[in-house]
Amino acid sequence: MSLQDINPCFPGLDEHLIFFYAGYFSQNIINAIGDAVRLRIGQSDASGSVRRKIFSTFIEMAQNIVHYSSDSLTPPEQTTLEMRAGSVLVTHVDNAFLILCANPVSQEFAEQLTPQLEPLRAMTNEQIKDAYRKALRSETNENSKGAGLGLLTIAKDSSAPIEYGFNPIGNGMLMFTLKATI
Amino acid sequence: MNKLYLAPTSNTPEVDFDFASRRLSLKGESYPESAAAFYGDILNQTSDFLGTLSNEDVHVVVQLNYFNSSSTKMLFSFFDRLNQAAEDGNQITLDWHHDVDDETILEFGLEVAEDFPAIEFNAHALES
Repeated sequence: MSLQDINPCFPGLDEHLIFFYAGYFSQNIINAIGDAVRLRIGQSDASGSVRRKIFSTFIEMAQNIVHYSSDSLTPPEQTTLEMRAGSVLVTHVDNAFLILCANPVSQEFAEQLTPQLEPLRAMTNEQIKDAYRKALRSETNENSKGAGLGLLTIAKDSSAPIEYGFNPIGNGMLMFTLKATI
Repeated sequence: MNKLYLAPTSNTPEVDFDFASRRLSLKGESYPESAAAFYGDILNQTSDFLGTLSNEDVHVVVQLNYFNSSSTKMLFSFFDRLNQAAEDGNQITLDWHHDVDDETILEFGLEVAEDFPAIEFNAHALES
């Protein structure tokens, strides 16, 4: 295999690629690659507002991987210093920044995520903001390690409806992918 | 319990709560792995401090470049406690700093001002 062959996930997007990381994510890794993402988007002609939305979406997606990917190096019951596998990509295509993430999840987790994600696709910006305001004031869902606000934060910053998918990867697991447009 | 100080890190803010001088300041970044773990003790100490006050002035300064969704929730809880102290007869001033082009942080500040009207809320736009 030559170096040119190593682009397994997103062929054709290279010239637009701003950032891509695949592998294990921990909070320390997020801190480090977050700096790289900030520097890279700082070199683009994106406005301050767009840069902030890209960074926010990147952090929410990366922290979701640390908390929820089913491919974990640390024991499932461990809730700090977690390390779990996934990928995040930032690319600049047709005057929009696309941010994609992927990580494996169980069938059961996919069934919990779908009813949270699907309604977001049908909502207007104003409806998403309303849902965000309600979630901010509600009690934290006990299944959520964060505040249940993460997906709403991503959807609120996305200029087009978020897209998501679950693709079987064997052993009853699914590859969850999520895409935001900024 | 005169002071709570935490130095800033790449993903957590500088926490400078000088209880003796009634000045609480949060500055920097906020995206810890667990916002509940990071803010838990800060909120508890704040509640204890607020419980000791009677008709006092407290000055709160928040200047965060970025906070993630779970930090947002914890900040909301922090302001809820401050609002309660204001309703109990204390004067709570919140100086809310945001970058001039950061509508997300300004909007969150306006949510806080709307939900917690007992707090005297001042938004400050910073030139980036």
